[in-house]
Amino acid sequence: MRLSNVSKAFGQVKALVDVSLDLHAGEVVGLLGDNGAGKSTLIKILSGNYHADEGSFEYQGRPVTINRPADAQALGIATVYQDLALVETRSVAHNIYLGREPRRFGYFMDRRKMERDANVMLEELNIRLASQKTDVELLSGGQRQAVALSRAIAMGGNILLLDEPTAALGVEQTQQVHHLITSMRRQDKAVVVITHDLSDILDITDRIAVLRQGKLWAYAPSSETTTNQIIGWITGVAPPHVRNGAVEMNNGSDQ
Amino acid sequence: MISALKRQDNWTLIGLFITLLMLIALFSWQSEFFFTTRNFINIGQAISIRGLIAIGLTVVMIAGGLDLSMAAVAAVAGMVTASLITLEVNSVLVGVLGIAAAGVLGSFNALLIVKFRINPIIATLGTLLFYRGLAFVSTGGDNIVIGVNAWSELGRGSWLGAPITVWLFLAVVVLGMCFMRFTVAGNHLYAIGGNSEACRNVGIRVDRLRGWTYVAQACLAGLAGLMLTSQSGTALPSALNGAELDIIAAVLLGGIALSGGRGGLLGTLLGLLIIGVVQNGLILLQVQIYWQSVVRGAILIIAVTLDSLRRGGGYR
Repeated sequence: MRLSNVSKAFGQVKALVDVSLDLHAGEVVGLLGDNGAGKSTLIKILSGNYHADEGSFEYQGRPVTINRPADAQALGIATVYQDLALVETRSVAHNIYLGREPRRFGYFMDRRKMERDANVMLEELNIRLASQKTDVELLSGGQRQAVALSRAIAMGGNILLLDEPTAALGVEQTQQVHHLITSMRRQDKAVVVITHDLSDILDITDRIAVLRQGKLWAYAPSSETTTNQIIGWITGVAPPHVRNGAVEMNNGSDQ
Repeated sequence: MISALKRQDNWTLIGLFITLLMLIALFSWQSEFFFTTRNFINIGQAISIRGLIAIGLTVVMIAGGLDLSMAAVAAVAGMVTASLITLEVNSVLVGVLGIAAAGVLGSFNALLIVKFRINPIIATLGTLLFYRGLAFVSTGGDNIVIGVNAWSELGRGSWLGAPITVWLFLAVVVLGMCFMRFTVAGNHLYAIGGNSEACRNVGIRVDRLRGWTYVAQACLAGLAGLMLTSQSGTALPSALNGAELDIIAAVLLGGIALSGGRGGLLGTLLGLLIIGVVQNGLILLQVQIYWQSVVRGAILIIAVTLDSLRRGGGYR
């Protein structure tokens, strides 16, 4: 997936300015930035909830448009929102297959197949729950995150956008989510993780993208990046630094 | 039944069932006329017409909505069918047009709530007054007497010893339970009531489904209006006036959350039976009519308190 010169303004406020990014299968990109840097706007454009004012998208080499959530879903882009967007009063299996329930005769739900498939998916992701029939409101924060990620995968997502997946989670639950992200990489998914948490970001990502004031400020391999560098880019103390992938497209030069 | 028990809040249903049994025991002890087949048929007949509206309201509320105009819709449908009968329109067409008229009113509710994003309480409070006014304006406040006609059997007939209205109500309950339990749309309605934004994110047509619940609710209210008119042989513009609160009380008592996403039709059926048994028992015990109002009010207060407790808190 390639984004070229994507811009978005809300009135006089420029939320995104000429942002270009490449997302590759089997790669995890950490999307970082201060509040108001444009991270959520970029995710919402990719997920079809916002329409980009300018810029273009390519998927597997062909130009595509993303005007609404259905367009993003058709391209295999699945988003896990910060609030997880789960239905707390429904079971784990229902939430995983929400909107894509296995059917019989067109109108009837194939509950057994849904529950069986949910079990298989949870096992594949090594997610342990008492039962996939449990209502989501009874799960812990980490388990809810796991259900939300499972749903993103069940939706056929090849590109997974995770908005603050470890916000409000404990240490152990954060480790669980990191483990899930790693297993998604192994499943050849392209994963974008928005986070404020810098502690493990270099370990779980392949590349780091830093947005600042709506612009792509830094884009570099995680293996060649330090936490201090990231802090410098987020705060603007360090100069712009764009390498590998988005260099040529972002204002035409290695900044 | 067993699957429905698993799905719902089991304790709510068990509590309702025990309450119902205790009320039956109490009134049977107090009145020799209570525990008779004839009296149970009376109770069934008394709750079946309001029950039809309650079934529709349950579905609306599960999807996170509310409809206060349902009794007024039933009154308008009754007036429309009675007018058509007096004009000697074909009997089948009378039924179809009466229910269709109710459906149009339901569509208007849906338009206000789904398209114009008006709070369901405000929107349907407005249409409650509007539709009730229409029922009165249509005849200048007069009743329409239709007497015996092709539709009389619906309201007055019986089958296997029970009134047809009761059979029809039970059929709608069973169909409604199957719809909510087994169909994708029924499950989506639960999910919409639980978190409509989550449903939108995954591409469920939230507005369309919510809109249909108001139309279906109005059609059931139309059927109730048709049954009431055929039962009494007269269409009253004031029909079911004030029944809204009893119906809402029954639905809330049955475990449906005001916030949506919870409960089921089995709970509503038990809520209706409890209210029906209490009203019938009070009449048999010749309790003063004013006390009956006090008891109905108490039931409504208990119902909303239970709803608040189920949500783990109250008004803040």
